[in-house]
Amino acid sequence: MAKKQLVQIKVNGRNREAMVEPRLLLVHFIRGIPGLTGTHVGCDTTHCGACTVLLDGKTVKSCTMFAVQADGCELLTVEGLMQNGKLHPLQEGFKEEHGLQCGFCTPGMLISSYALLSKNENPSEEEIRWGISGNLCRCTGYQNIVKAVQYAAGKMEQGGKDDLPNIA
Amino acid sequence: MRIEKTFQVKEPIDQVWSLLSDPRRVATCVPGAKITEQVDEKTYKGTISVKVGPSATDYKGELEILRLDAENHEIEILGKGQDVRGRGSASMKMTGKLRSLEDGGTEVTSVSEVNVVGILAQMGSRVISEVSNIMFGQFVKNFQAQLQQPADAATGEAKPINAASLAWAAAKGAFHRQS
Amino acid sequence: MICRTSPEVGGMGHSIKRKEDLRFIQGKGNYVDDVNLPDMVYGHMVRSPYAHARLKGINTENAKQLPGVLTVITGEDLAKANLAWMPTLFFDKQMVLATGKVLFQSQEVAFVVAEDPYIAADAAELVEVDYEELPVLVDPHKALDPDAPILRDDREDKSNHIFHWEVGDRAATDKVFEDAEVKAKVHAVFQRCHPAPLETCGCVADHNAATGRLTIYLTSQAPHAHRTLFAIVGGIPENNIRVISPDIGGGFGNKVPIYPGYVCAVVASLTLGRPVKWIETRSENLQSTGFARDYHMTAELAATQDGKIQAMRVKTLADHGAFNAAAQPTKFPAGLFSICTGAYDYPTAFCEVDGVYTNKAPGGIAYRCSFRVTEAAYLIERAVDVLAQELKTDPVELRRKNFISPEKFPYKSPLGWSYDSGDYDAAMKVALDTIGYDALRKEQQEKRAKGELMGIGISSFVEVVGAGPAHTFDIAGIKMFDSCEIRIHPTGKAMCRMGTKSQGQGHETTYAQIVAQELGIPAADVTVEEGDTDTAPYGLGTYASRSTPVSGAATAMAARKIRDKAKKIAAHLLECSEEDLDWEPGKFFVKGAPSKAKTIQDIAFAAYTNMPEGMEAGLEAVDYYDPPNLTFPFGTYICVVDIDKGTGEVKVRRFVAVDDCGNIINPMIVEGQIHGGLTEGLAIAFMQQIGYDENGNVQGGTFMDYLLPTAVETPHWETGKTCTPSPHHPFGAKGVGESPNVGSPAAFVNAVVDALSHLGVKHIDMPIAPWKVWNILKEKGAVN
Repeated sequence: MAKKQLVQIKVNGRNREAMVEPRLLLVHFIRGIPGLTGTHVGCDTTHCGACTVLLDGKTVKSCTMFAVQADGCELLTVEGLMQNGKLHPLQEGFKEEHGLQCGFCTPGMLISSYALLSKNENPSEEEIRWGISGNLCRCTGYQNIVKAVQYAAGKMEQGGKDDLPNIA
Repeated sequence: MRIEKTFQVKEPIDQVWSLLSDPRRVATCVPGAKITEQVDEKTYKGTISVKVGPSATDYKGELEILRLDAENHEIEILGKGQDVRGRGSASMKMTGKLRSLEDGGTEVTSVSEVNVVGILAQMGSRVISEVSNIMFGQFVKNFQAQLQQPADAATGEAKPINAASLAWAAAKGAFHRQS
Repeated sequence: MICRTSPEVGGMGHSIKRKEDLRFIQGKGNYVDDVNLPDMVYGHMVRSPYAHARLKGINTENAKQLPGVLTVITGEDLAKANLAWMPTLFFDKQMVLATGKVLFQSQEVAFVVAEDPYIAADAAELVEVDYEELPVLVDPHKALDPDAPILRDDREDKSNHIFHWEVGDRAATDKVFEDAEVKAKVHAVFQRCHPAPLETCGCVADHNAATGRLTIYLTSQAPHAHRTLFAIVGGIPENNIRVISPDIGGGFGNKVPIYPGYVCAVVASLTLGRPVKWIETRSENLQSTGFARDYHMTAELAATQDGKIQAMRVKTLADHGAFNAAAQPTKFPAGLFSICTGAYDYPTAFCEVDGVYTNKAPGGIAYRCSFRVTEAAYLIERAVDVLAQELKTDPVELRRKNFISPEKFPYKSPLGWSYDSGDYDAAMKVALDTIGYDALRKEQQEKRAKGELMGIGISSFVEVVGAGPAHTFDIAGIKMFDSCEIRIHPTGKAMCRMGTKSQGQGHETTYAQIVAQELGIPAADVTVEEGDTDTAPYGLGTYASRSTPVSGAATAMAARKIRDKAKKIAAHLLECSEEDLDWEPGKFFVKGAPSKAKTIQDIAFAAYTNMPEGMEAGLEAVDYYDPPNLTFPFGTYICVVDIDKGTGEVKVRRFVAVDDCGNIINPMIVEGQIHGGLTEGLAIAFMQQIGYDENGNVQGGTFMDYLLPTAVETPHWETGKTCTPSPHHPFGAKGVGESPNVGSPAAFVNAVVDALSHLGVKHIDMPIAPWKVWNILKEKGAVN
């Protein structure tokens, strides 16, 4: 068994560190060390996207990374979307537009949508569908998820940038 | 699954036949294979190790020469093995045929029926055929090298192919298929 | 007539936003894998690579030596406690851990428990199993051949035949076919597929030696039934077992059976005295848990020359895998398949089904099938299209000519169902108008002349859900009632618990809306809980679209019991007699003097502070509802496809789904259910199959090969509705969760066949992948 290594990862603005085996998957680090169980495991072949998190501003499937690979990086998970007790417009949008049913894909969907909107403030329906094509959902058929993202895009356009969580 | 391969060597047919019809020597050309004992005149026991990336499978089994036709230079063998940890099995029936070429060399044709049971088989023919392509490529190199050595030279074992390169090459092969 | 409440109250018909969303959008759901208990350890299953083999021996020594491993359980160990086998939900038994032989690839062979999940996985690799391969049976058509390997040594009857079931009048049906002017026949295979909810199955089994209680956090759609089964099978007193189904990440029938992993985790916890967590991987989920369908069906329709259907004859071969673990009511070995006569009015039919064993994973009832109604609806809707082709008539006209007309309800079908209500033509009309049917047919003609391929597929399905009345229905002996308990607090807020268990259907919202409708308490003030067997009243769970028809009815009935008591309290407060009082949601008032009223909140307070003489305190009720009949939702779906002649790819251009599920609680939630089910139907029709090669190797065992549609493949769904209430349901509702899976596969397939019918194509089996279409085009000389 390989020797444990120290990893330091900033998760949702908080520094986290632990001694981990090099083979510890990032998703297990997130769920186990800071205990943020919002990021889910839905498959074992990197297809479903339920484990999607934002790593230094880019979406990654945390089941396909080792925690040691994220050493020194900044992570945003679904738990980091809410700021000062206020829901992010995306979270609001998912609620208003019935963009979730069982909720299992939702954290990954929120992170992917967040990344999409940070690059494209007013995406078309097609762009939204491509933007979330790495996230599988069994319950909703995606239609209301598209509406949820459109809701958020609209809200953010009005509300300006101060609705976004503060991650450097 | 059917795998058909053909390759040419410079050596004349009789020399090639003496290598092809000697299981102990041929086994040394197969990457990761080892003959451990001879049971009777046409049956041998052996092992073969196949590593694809982190996944290592050690098969233990038997090789039986079903038919040896020196006149027509044809050999038919049946190889069957089980994964030592009980994670699957594989069997292969291979017919090897030699043909003299005009330039004095020999054409070697092999036709194999391969059956894999277990986790590896779930990956489907895409991985199995790529892995067998790569292993066959190495076999050919080893076979050609063996031909150039005198018949009584000490035979070692052919090393298993480096696991990481096998995985990478198999993946590449699967995506860039050249017929 | 349902009286509409205000939006603030949020009773029936209001699309109020879901109450459960708040925790999910914050990533604060509580799924089984999120449960972490002190001292918890982890289980990992060792599985068979062979589809059929004798188990010669298992060597667990190396595994046990690995530091961090606590135990390795084998079938032999379980056999000592009589637990190596367990009963299935359908009178068969299944191995928990293999003894003697293995019967399908991925079958459970040993269970490793270790301090952390990575060590458990390492140890599982160190378990050495010695197998002797046996001949494999994967083709159900060969299961009854004289030389077929016999799979089940444990059964007295040494055959692969599980059951023969028939219903209807064989002689009368044969006679009609003999004399028929027109006959149409189709052989339709509903391929083996898998519900694949995004959360896999798992549990945390926690035996607490200090209290003597066993708590099992379980991905279960039926927590009470599971508790009872654990008690009976495990010999543990039922009052010492608590099953908690927390948040479930999708079920679709996959979480109805009891899996060997659950039993092993319980045994391990009992042995070690520590909580044991077992969560399966996706591969394990696809390869070993309850699959769906695998029905090989032949349907024949007899009709007159002018298109009146006279009879239907059906013969089906059902591939059940290695054990009969189909979770369905006792008297129905083929589920509710006999609904296959469909939406059409004719007097004669006969249906027979034979179930066989094969070397595949057990299951069959899953993937929103309503107990085989998906198979039945697919069959009749394909058969009707084949008949339309035979008669050279429009498939819409043929259907409308044969629909059961509204006056005929309750309608007795030739195979014994009593359809409660329906207006099939009304739904058809809405669908036709919405999609612009006539214009599409014209467009198709024009396109055909230019050699372009376009198809229109219709599916007019009838569903049967809401199992079911005690006189006919039970699962493993337990009758299929369901329940609701409501308690109103002094300040007028309510708490309710039901015997069902949502896996995303929005029960925390919809049940609250039923209470809001019946009592006028705002839905926001009603808390709904499900899934904890210590507190919720006994129920059979959520599957087969039964929650609204059965537990929803129980909720209404419980609320009405409360209303009866509330009326007495109101009369006491208003100093009048009960006969002088009228009710509108939220208050009782004196007839003719509406200002003399007491709100439900006033009454609730009085129930604890100012009771009438002799009346017990409190304002609560429980109801166990035995439905008088099932309910019959229905609809018409129309699908338009365009086929690429160069690649064989089918593009769904439009899809209109008109559903009738009677009175609707929350239109937004119903629409969401339809979207989801249509997407699953799309996947089934075009992408999904759990296949096996001749050695029994699973060929659809991971998401690499078992495909789920992404947002890109999924088209835009257009939904519509008609409303034909159920006459026997307390608020006229029918249930709808599975309708889209029931109705859509035929719509997709009918559309593709319709696009190719002028080339002589009559039927294509699912999944309709591009290579299949391309081969047909090539064969017909139509490839671009």
